[in-house]
Amino acid sequence: MDRVDGTEHYKGDVSQGPIPALLLIILDTNPHAWALLNRDLPLSEAIANLLVFINAHLAFHNANQVAVVASHCHRAVWLYPRPGSSSEGVDMAGGETPAINDANKYRPFAQIEDQLLTSLRDLIQTTTPDDVASTNTTQMAGALTLALAHINKATLAFSQQIGGTETTADHLGSSDDTSGLQSRILVLSVSGDLAHQYIPIMNTTFAAQRMRVPIDILKLAGDTVFLQQASDTTRGIYLQLRSPQGFLQYLMMAFLPDQTSRKLLVAPTQEVVDFRAACFCHRKVVDVGFVCSICLSIFCSVPEGAVCLTCSTHLSLGEYGSKPAVVPRKKKKRRKLNGGDDTPSRPGTPVPNK
Amino acid sequence: MSSSDEDYVADDSDDAGSHQVSSRHGTRSQGPVKGPAGTSTRGGDPNAGTRKRAAWEDIQRSWDTVVESADGSITAAVEKERNEKKRGRLLRDTTPLQRGIIRHLILVIDLSFAMQEKDLRPTRYLLTLRFAVEFVTEFFEQNPISQLGIIGMRDGIALRISDISGNPTEHIEHLRALREQEPKGNPSLQNALEMSRAALYHAPSHGTREVLIIYGALLSSDPGDIHDTIANLITERIRVSIIGLAAQVAICSELCKRTNSGDDGNYNVILDDVHFRELLLAKTTPPITQTKQQSQSSLLMMGFPSRVLDAGPIMSLCACHSKLTRGGYLCSRCDAKVCSLPAECPACGLTLILSTHLARSYHHLFPLKNWIEIPWPLASQSKSCFSCQTPFPKPPRTSSHLQVPDGKGKGREGVGTSSESGRYGCEVCGRHFCIDCDLFAHEVVHNCPGCQGDSRGNVQVRDRDVEMGGS
Repeated sequence: MDRVDGTEHYKGDVSQGPIPALLLIILDTNPHAWALLNRDLPLSEAIANLLVFINAHLAFHNANQVAVVASHCHRAVWLYPRPGSSSEGVDMAGGETPAINDANKYRPFAQIEDQLLTSLRDLIQTTTPDDVASTNTTQMAGALTLALAHINKATLAFSQQIGGTETTADHLGSSDDTSGLQSRILVLSVSGDLAHQYIPIMNTTFAAQRMRVPIDILKLAGDTVFLQQASDTTRGIYLQLRSPQGFLQYLMMAFLPDQTSRKLLVAPTQEVVDFRAACFCHRKVVDVGFVCSICLSIFCSVPEGAVCLTCSTHLSLGEYGSKPAVVPRKKKKRRKLNGGDDTPSRPGTPVPNK
Repeated sequence: MSSSDEDYVADDSDDAGSHQVSSRHGTRSQGPVKGPAGTSTRGGDPNAGTRKRAAWEDIQRSWDTVVESADGSITAAVEKERNEKKRGRLLRDTTPLQRGIIRHLILVIDLSFAMQEKDLRPTRYLLTLRFAVEFVTEFFEQNPISQLGIIGMRDGIALRISDISGNPTEHIEHLRALREQEPKGNPSLQNALEMSRAALYHAPSHGTREVLIIYGALLSSDPGDIHDTIANLITERIRVSIIGLAAQVAICSELCKRTNSGDDGNYNVILDDVHFRELLLAKTTPPITQTKQQSQSSLLMMGFPSRVLDAGPIMSLCACHSKLTRGGYLCSRCDAKVCSLPAECPACGLTLILSTHLARSYHHLFPLKNWIEIPWPLASQSKSCFSCQTPFPKPPRTSSHLQVPDGKGKGREGVGTSSESGRYGCEVCGRHFCIDCDLFAHEVVHNCPGCQGDSRGNVQVRDRDVEMGGS
């Protein structure tokens, strides 16, 4: 296609041997959750451990890549590669930071460390107290979307480098072959409730499943049903960190192997996956719910007047709540017996309070 | 392909019989087929002499449109065309239409002599079966809570191939078994429709009732008056769509038109195998609800069970097949164990599904809005794509680049245009993206990275609220 120069000879180099892997790390930097976690595992220590893990991943293969996204309280931000850094790469190497020129450090390691820490500092400095006070969740859906977009682009670039014939549609259709870039997402999650991002998170989950990108979750604190479902759907690993001191060991033992090696290993599995859904009315996680047949909204109880809250359609209740017709005899006695198990949805039913 | 050929109207509507002579390639058209009454598109036109041009008269050759740039290379033009093609695939109507998400569909496959034709490789019959398997898989992927049944037409009768059910593996098994058999005899449209009608009789009123026919023959040997059958289909609100493999047939066109309340977009004739596959897989998208009475909405009670994974040596019997299994799902009302979902609890009758099944359909209901092309004057506010960090081309210093915009104005209508600055912007969050991310966001992930990635501007205003507020 575009290759008219004589760079054919690189082709053989890349396509043989082990396939390079792209590791995308999503770091949940929710200040509330880290504050709670501070005693067991401060953020600085977690970052230090994470950097060791990133280095280990890069050391596995020459062409291995890594990218880090922060899922902050109000926005999702690229930590590595830094936004804009690719265009001004010269000035990065200009030597403003002494760490990069440290002779005792492998240069790519130093570069990542430097960029990651700089952008993380930037992120924390630009966070105002208002931002922190106004919410206690994290933009996980946005971070996942960014991550998937990056993977998509990297896969395209990689396949162009190797074969050069695939287009976007082809690569989606034929992504089951193993020749492409092996990508995976690792989420270091500290926040609990994500119920208000239900649909976007589910969208990213299905996209990841379609792209055959496993989503691994390491849960440092809290519990999220949707991330559990995401890792189960995409065949990723879900682990709950039981002892925060062993953070690095968790990372190294469970999350370092790529997809190819995972086939040969016994990966940790989830015993019970919670597949319950969040209702759209109160954001409650429900076991048995009511589903609107038009828009598939889930409700925890029959909405008032049986009108769907999302699409405002009037819904017929079907068989639910109907009772066998009783011939009315002694009215007062009957009512008292039946009143207790009436549906909560009909507040108008008069129940004698005695 | 260009869209210029979709208005082709068969001129010989008065002698419909001539269609049955042979499958002339010239009679095929790409877009929706106009019926005998299709001439109504030019009904009020006084000069009927201006005949619509046939498809082959308007062929656009890719080499005609290429313009050499100043230095004589065509890279820019090729790149532009490639981007336009990419975008053309994704620009579609994004109004949140009401769709029949819970579907009941009967797939009718022609198994008559006409399927032995070898105009599709290896034969029409084998190719259709292969695509049908693909269709079944994709159908349940897109519509996890829907039901499907398969009927064949052979020897003048309708043949029950696979009963209506929600289990793709059974359907695929039955379709595979068909491969051993030979297509023979005449097809009977009426018999197939009557059998579909009977199969869909029990479909609940909140779901759709659809029949999809893959029709290879140009004739139908019916025992009675098919118009009576069509009238019955209409009263039972069954919608029929047909994919023709040979040529347009008047009765098919009428059938589709009348059962879809006048919309004739549901009868298509294929051009080649690629087009066949496209048409078939397009039917996996839930259909748009057209009239109020077609859908009686209701509130369904459903259970969202949790999965149990028995890691130990313990096994237990499942309630659905009475087989010993290790894992399974426990009904959220009565704790009976079923082995796969979606299912109806055998003990208490509660519909059991995974919430992921419901979530799979949400992007049909809340589509992501199309992004707009960003012209050069507005391009300077972004240096790189918001989601993938790919640097954008720099704005030109001189205005020599301004030769492009004349092609841009007209493009907003149908076929996608490429942005001159390589930037595509989301109108909600105002962020700029590259073409690959545009494609990816609309076709795969169905999220806008910008809107999801920053909630400071529009706190608590999520995509769906915006969409629903508009309707």
